[in-house]
Amino acid sequence: MAVCIAVIAKENYPLYIRSVPTQNELKFHYTVHTSLDVVEEKISAVGKSLGDQRELYLGLLYPTEDYKVYGYVTNSKVKFVIVVDSSNTSLRDNEIRSMFRKLHNSFTDVMCNPFHNPGDTIQSKAFDGIVSGMMVQTASYT
Amino acid sequence: MAQCVQSVQEFVQDSFVPMVAVLCSEEAERVTRKNKLGFAELLRPFCRLTSEGHIRDPNNQMQVVKNLRICVNNVVTSPTPASAASSPALRRLLNDVVLSCQPQEGAATNVITAGDYDLSFSATTPWFEAYRENFLQSMPASDHEFLNHYLACLLVVSSTEAVPVEQFLKLSQEQHRVQHSGEYTNPKWFIPNTLKYYVLLHDMSEGDEQRADSVYEDMKQRYGHQGCYLLKLNSRTSSAEEDEQIPDPWSQYLHRNTLQNQVGRPCVSLLHLLPCLLADGASTSLDSHPLQLDPASSSGSLHALTAANAELKKGSREPEGPAGGHGACLTLNDHDHIRQFIQEFTFRGLLPHVEKNIRQLNDQLVSRKGLSRSLFTATKKWFGGGKVPEKSISEPKSTCGLLYPPEAPELQIRKMADLCFLVQHYELAYSCYHTAKKDFLSDQAMLYAAGALEMAAVSAFLQPGAPRPYPAHYMDTAIQTYRDVCKNMVLAERCALLSAEILKSQGKYSEAATLLIKMTSEDSDLRSALLLEQAAHCFINMRNPMVRKFAFHMILAGHRFSKAGQRRHALRCYCQAMQVYKERGWSLAEDHINFTIGRQSFTLSQPENAVTAFRHILTNDSRQTATQQGAFLREYLYVYKVTASTLCHLPELPLPCIHSSATRVYFGHERRLAEGEKQAATHVSLDQEYDQDTAAMWGHLEEQLVAAANRGTVPANFQPTQCCLNSQTDNLRHPLAVAEEPIIVEVTFRNPLKVPLALSNLSLLWRFSADGASPSQDRTTDWSAAEVITNEETVSVGARLRLLPHATGQLHIVGVVRALTHSVDVLLSPGQQMLDLMVVRGRQDLKIRGPRLNQTKEDKMLIRHGLDLRLDPIITPPMPLMEVFFLQFPTALLCGEIRKAYVEFCNVSGVALCGLRVASTHPDFFTFGSQTTTPVTPLSPTSAENCSAYKTLATAREPGSVASEMLVSAEDFSQPSGVMDIPMDGSTLQPGQSTQLPLWLRGPDQEGVHEINFLFYYESTEKGIRISHRVLRHTVFICASRSLSVQASACRSSVPPHHSVEDRGGAGTLVFVDVENINTSEAGVREFHIIQVSSSSQHWRLHRCINPAKDKDCKLTSRERAKLCFRATRCKPHQEKYTFADLNLGNERIISSSTPCGDFFFRGCRPSESQRADEAPSRTSCSRQSQCVPAEDRAADISSIVRKCNELDLNIIVIWKVRIQSSVSRSVRETEAQEMVLLKFKSELPPPAVPPSAELSQLIKTNLHYPETYTHPFVQDSLCVVPVSLTLSNCSSAQVDVLIDLRHRSTSGESLEVHSSFTWVGQTQYKLQLQPQQVLGLTLRACFLQPGVYNLNTPRVFAKPAEQDAMCETSQQTASPALIIISSSSA
Repeated sequence: MAVCIAVIAKENYPLYIRSVPTQNELKFHYTVHTSLDVVEEKISAVGKSLGDQRELYLGLLYPTEDYKVYGYVTNSKVKFVIVVDSSNTSLRDNEIRSMFRKLHNSFTDVMCNPFHNPGDTIQSKAFDGIVSGMMVQTASYT
Repeated sequence: MAQCVQSVQEFVQDSFVPMVAVLCSEEAERVTRKNKLGFAELLRPFCRLTSEGHIRDPNNQMQVVKNLRICVNNVVTSPTPASAASSPALRRLLNDVVLSCQPQEGAATNVITAGDYDLSFSATTPWFEAYRENFLQSMPASDHEFLNHYLACLLVVSSTEAVPVEQFLKLSQEQHRVQHSGEYTNPKWFIPNTLKYYVLLHDMSEGDEQRADSVYEDMKQRYGHQGCYLLKLNSRTSSAEEDEQIPDPWSQYLHRNTLQNQVGRPCVSLLHLLPCLLADGASTSLDSHPLQLDPASSSGSLHALTAANAELKKGSREPEGPAGGHGACLTLNDHDHIRQFIQEFTFRGLLPHVEKNIRQLNDQLVSRKGLSRSLFTATKKWFGGGKVPEKSISEPKSTCGLLYPPEAPELQIRKMADLCFLVQHYELAYSCYHTAKKDFLSDQAMLYAAGALEMAAVSAFLQPGAPRPYPAHYMDTAIQTYRDVCKNMVLAERCALLSAEILKSQGKYSEAATLLIKMTSEDSDLRSALLLEQAAHCFINMRNPMVRKFAFHMILAGHRFSKAGQRRHALRCYCQAMQVYKERGWSLAEDHINFTIGRQSFTLSQPENAVTAFRHILTNDSRQTATQQGAFLREYLYVYKVTASTLCHLPELPLPCIHSSATRVYFGHERRLAEGEKQAATHVSLDQEYDQDTAAMWGHLEEQLVAAANRGTVPANFQPTQCCLNSQTDNLRHPLAVAEEPIIVEVTFRNPLKVPLALSNLSLLWRFSADGASPSQDRTTDWSAAEVITNEETVSVGARLRLLPHATGQLHIVGVVRALTHSVDVLLSPGQQMLDLMVVRGRQDLKIRGPRLNQTKEDKMLIRHGLDLRLDPIITPPMPLMEVFFLQFPTALLCGEIRKAYVEFCNVSGVALCGLRVASTHPDFFTFGSQTTTPVTPLSPTSAENCSAYKTLATAREPGSVASEMLVSAEDFSQPSGVMDIPMDGSTLQPGQSTQLPLWLRGPDQEGVHEINFLFYYESTEKGIRISHRVLRHTVFICASRSLSVQASACRSSVPPHHSVEDRGGAGTLVFVDVENINTSEAGVREFHIIQVSSSSQHWRLHRCINPAKDKDCKLTSRERAKLCFRATRCKPHQEKYTFADLNLGNERIISSSTPCGDFFFRGCRPSESQRADEAPSRTSCSRQSQCVPAEDRAADISSIVRKCNELDLNIIVIWKVRIQSSVSRSVRETEAQEMVLLKFKSELPPPAVPPSAELSQLIKTNLHYPETYTHPFVQDSLCVVPVSLTLSNCSSAQVDVLIDLRHRSTSGESLEVHSSFTWVGQTQYKLQLQPQQVLGLTLRACFLQPGVYNLNTPRVFAKPAEQDAMCETSQQTASPALIIISSSSA
């Protein structure tokens, strides 16, 4: 499903980046990093108009030639970015949403771990598993 | 998009200017050549008009033409300029323009703060503007538009010609031929009847001015007043001294000119060839995805690049253009003349010409409008998109729709629009473009339509007052059409440049960026790079700056720049992007950028920057793969090597990281562990881990030793010796090192990479200041640890480096110098690997920070670190150095086993030593023997091999023999606690001398492994040196296994004292010794022989063995137990002397009072005694201690006296022997081991009935002596009187008052019944006083009335110590019943 899944801290440094191993990892790093601009733009735009209740899911951040980049921001300003192959047309917006929700739940679990130091990179195996699940599905889909 | 010098309006206007061609006669050209300029070049600086011109539009309204610029060019008829825009030559030109335009060093930078990013970058991009200007100027003339077609032609003839008029004619014909013959496609002309303007050039310096004037007059008549001009030039001779400084307006155009000239030049100079080669080379090597790190691209590419770079540098110096001296023959007046000429030409010639043509075209269009327009549309409808017949045949179809012939009516309106645009009549131009656009679109003439759309948008933008919004979609359509339909990237690019600039001026940065990014393509790296960079600038200039997009596009731009061979620009781009990525956790991206910066810096010969960048990649914890790191490392080492070769001092080499605080320093020689059979003292070595507890233990031992050496006081400045310094030791003082003794520094390296690193040739870097001398320069040790440390993964490895000081002074160890190799191929054969290895040499400083201070409040609030001086030792003069060896030192002992070993002290230094002492954690483990008793034992271990550890006497054993006694004073064995002086001949050890001493060891009492620490202490014979003493540590581990368990008990003998004559005081006591073999499962140990039992006490002694079993040889096999019975008697009290009594069970008597036994006896009891020094010398058992009254007033204290009386203070020494077969070496080696068990025991007598009087009840021992049976003829005499003697023995050492009451107790009814039959007669109450230990006999008489069995034990004895009040008289315990049989004799 996804080719790259990233969790970015409030301060915009990566907490977790995982990409499909066959592809150039660096490229995804750049893509995710650049997408933060759009995320910030979207947050600031929404913040003005709506006030407190904000939709966490930001939708498609921007399409590139090969990928679609989706964003999601938690209330604590932690960003989730999912990069999807643009050739994969079977993905609906709803599925992306549910992926983010799953990711968010797993992330919450990681944060609830009393041994996790907030701000550290995520080393959790459970989280890894969830992410792998989302990435593995790609293979079966395509 | 970056800020530009020009305003948008200016820029757009200048992009489209009227073009004027120049045709020069040769003679005229010669005249201008004097100034090293062509005629067109001569005019160029003056082509912008400062004054306003006017023009009338078709409606006769006046239009102002402001700030007009014209472009003057030579007529060039070269056949192939059609595709010039994509030609390599043009590319080269643009490349060079960009290359030559670099940001200045100190150029103003813009600082933008966006979010938490602070970015500084240059706000202007002059290279882009230069590129754009050149690009627009070099636009080839196209058929679909007329903007850069020539409007007019200047015909220039010199006045020096023979017949100038003829020349004019010739040039005119030439122009006509070029335009109309159809031979030349290239210079395109706007209008068929091009304006010809005749210029007569007069050289003031050589020609006849009057003649020129006359020719001019002639011209005026012929061509009209407004069609010709006389230009006077060269007022100054070129040879004339240049007194006045004439500004050189050509210089800024010159560079571009020379470059432009090269466009047509067939041969390309070396200068321009090289960058292209370079660019090609680079693009092949970097021909990959811009975001791809190329790990595999070998450092070979770098090599190639450096080589090429070097060539380029050489080449760049060669071509030296005709610099300076332009317009040397022109005065300022001449400049004015030229300016005037341009103005005259424009206002009198060009503008009226344009005005006339606009009018004509307008008329044509208006006349056609009603008829043709409707006709066109009608025909179009009828023919269904087919072409109108008039242009059907000659029309070549092209990819972008149809092409019109030059005179096609559709083009006329475009022509008019262009004319209007050129003379700044934008309103009219817009409406014309708009109309034209519709026409072209309906004709599907896409190229034309796109052109019209583009210009419509531009003119809409330029309209004063902005009556309509800028139609951005026109531009987008135009660009799309140009690019996709017409495949004309040049036009698309122009369009994009214009549009982006306009959008930028309107603040639509995001649109501009999108537009620019869309324009990047594979065909031109330079263009893509520049556009991406502009796009990046757009992102940063947005209202909410998009910093990351800026950075990302900067990287893309940098990549394209580097592909285009623009290394400097590439580097700049990457550096700017770096600001965003730096230290924000995006390590992969950061590494990529650093790597690229490193490479680019290196090729730009900035190796320092390259080294810094590479270092960043390698030293930060990298998340790259191993291969990637390997590639990084290879590049880094290469760059580093190049850098290092240029520097005079060794540069810093950060790999592998030094873990500074883990550095350990060791002072002294490395110890030999064993030398033959000798086993050296372990001392301290770097291999040991530091342990706080151990260090404290050694420190404590040393303190004891120092105290012993200083008569019990520890000097105030005492500090425990530290041989090995590390991060946990106290490093606040300069450590003291001794000259001629090595200092070993262990440096810990950590490899942060995933690839192995090999270090070699390590050496220390140090600075030394001898006493009183100034500090010297950094020096390295000539000694160098030789070989390779392969540092796999992230493992830390320590390297030990040695330093041997020869002089005294202050030493500072500064750092480490080493050679680093990237050893991928370590595992290959040595010969092969040497080729591949790149070895670089560098230094790294050791900077040790002390521990963080946390004492004061300031310390807690700040982060402060203490001093750490472990690398700054003070070198002191040579000191004695002792080595200690042990011989025959066992590793395993049975509990209590005594073994003899030898210790050798060896002075290996050049200084004599003395004051040898030793302290140990287990002082009872060993002894050196006492002086008084030792001399008998042989000193050499070899001769003593088969000797017993004991001093023995052969004695014939006779059964029941009495123990032999010996008195020994405790002082003979006394040693201060824990510390022992080592008995050594002469007490000093001269240099090189060694001495051997016997040493007795006794196995610890507890089974298990025991760690036993020795600390040897010695001093120099010289006094007053910095190091007062030195110590040597030794640690042994002894494995103790179980042997015998010995328990003893005692009870009071009931045998009356007079049975044995020697016994006085009647205190004969029985001692039972239970011995059990508890040795487990040791096959080698068979049986224990108990050969002797000895006692040691101040008051008691073993008297004789009263073993009931007559078997004298007491053997104990596994798990057997035996009981030995002894009688102990009190001995004469000797002040502070111990009586040793030996009872041997075998044939040899072992003198237990002499060395090993006696030593261990005193050593064993010493600690407990020293704990309660104030108590009575006789030792009390712990169970009684609670009753102990503090003993200041001992004599008066009843309890003490009483206690003494009850105490049996006896130490029993059981000496046994066992044969041990060593099972290890199969050969049955019968080790004879003789051992000793110390038994300290206190007899426990049965407790009395009445608790408070428990003690007192045993002061007196009573015995009744009487005949067992007594026959009395009761028939004859009914009263039988039997004499009974009562013996009272005072057991205590005090006077005792005794009261004996023979009367029956009336209270006890039971006893009344029993005893009623007999009665004591005579004195029934005695009051006596017994002296200490006195035995007193009393004769009593018992009277019986009838025969029977009677218990005589009825006397009640009360005793109390004298000097006590009577109240505490206590009944003495009655012994067992004393029965007497009274029988009646019948006779």
